[in-house]
Amino acid sequence: MVLAKFVEVGRVVKINYGPQEGKLATIVEILNDKRVLIDGPTTGVQRQVIPIRRLTLTKFNLKGATRGARSGVLTKAIKKSDPFAQYAQSIAAKKVAKKALRAKLNDFDRFRVMILRKRRSALLSTQLKSLKKNAGGKAQAQAKGGNKKK
Amino acid sequence: MPAKKRTVRIGNWYKSDDENVHFVRKRKAPRPAKLRKIVPGQVLILLAGRFQGKRVVFLKQLKSGLLLVTGPFKINGVPLKRVNSAYVIPTSTKVDVNGVNAGQVDDEYFKRTQAQRRKNEQGFWAKRGELTAEQQTAEKTRLDGKRKTQKSIDDALIAAVKKTPLLKQYLGARFSIGKTTRPHELVF
Repeated sequence: MVLAKFVEVGRVVKINYGPQEGKLATIVEILNDKRVLIDGPTTGVQRQVIPIRRLTLTKFNLKGATRGARSGVLTKAIKKSDPFAQYAQSIAAKKVAKKALRAKLNDFDRFRVMILRKRRSALLSTQLKSLKKNAGGKAQAQAKGGNKKK
Repeated sequence: MPAKKRTVRIGNWYKSDDENVHFVRKRKAPRPAKLRKIVPGQVLILLAGRFQGKRVVFLKQLKSGLLLVTGPFKINGVPLKRVNSAYVIPTSTKVDVNGVNAGQVDDEYFKRTQAQRRKNEQGFWAKRGELTAEQQTAEKTRLDGKRKTQKSIDDALIAAVKKTPLLKQYLGARFSIGKTTRPHELVF
């Protein structure tokens, strides 16, 4: 596996520890092998020095971020091409959103999810049975999309 | 108001008649327990008793502080019932109770009658106290009246419950904790 995510100026990172946990920011300057300066003017992260240990690198880069760029410069670059919006489309971000949604479910919601999952599984199993019967066991099970699970 | 006297061990010490009891607390009428943000129509989860885990609809708070709830009976078998709010989890699901009139139900409704007390009084091995004919008819009319109140309240409720899909099945199901559920993280 080739290393693809580098700690570099412009790298979009996610803070994974501390009061700003979960927020995105951009690396603005590298201070030493352990600390960087990050800034997230559009995501509510104050310009700060932070140890790399507290960051998760994403695969996105902010184009136009120069070393030591000030918040205004960064904001302009973000306006041109927004890597944070791209990140929101990524699977990692969607997983986080799903987890947050599931944590918010109330008792009735959880009951509804359970019923829907049972219905979907029932649909899948009937499909599977009919496919097996028709193709004499050789067919590959095609999962038919049932209700969209939360 | 009877003063609370401390029991004294029989010994050499006998209280004199004119001795003053030090401090008598005036017994006040019981204050209804403060309702922690439970609203009529809210679905509650019962935590104790025969119906533990059942989800019921809250109707109103009675003067004694207990909560009046109903299954509705047809949905999950819980009748009009008084429940202590400490043994209840309020969920955020609400049923529309605008058409429900629970006005005639109060603590008196749940009081044991003479006939019921007579039935229970004889003890396990003895033959149950039998009711006279008029007591039996009185019982019958009482129970019929209860069935009617239950039905009148429940019919309005069930009509409201049917409007939300899956709500009827939700009320019919019991709440339970599995191996992986973390109750402190659950949002109700």
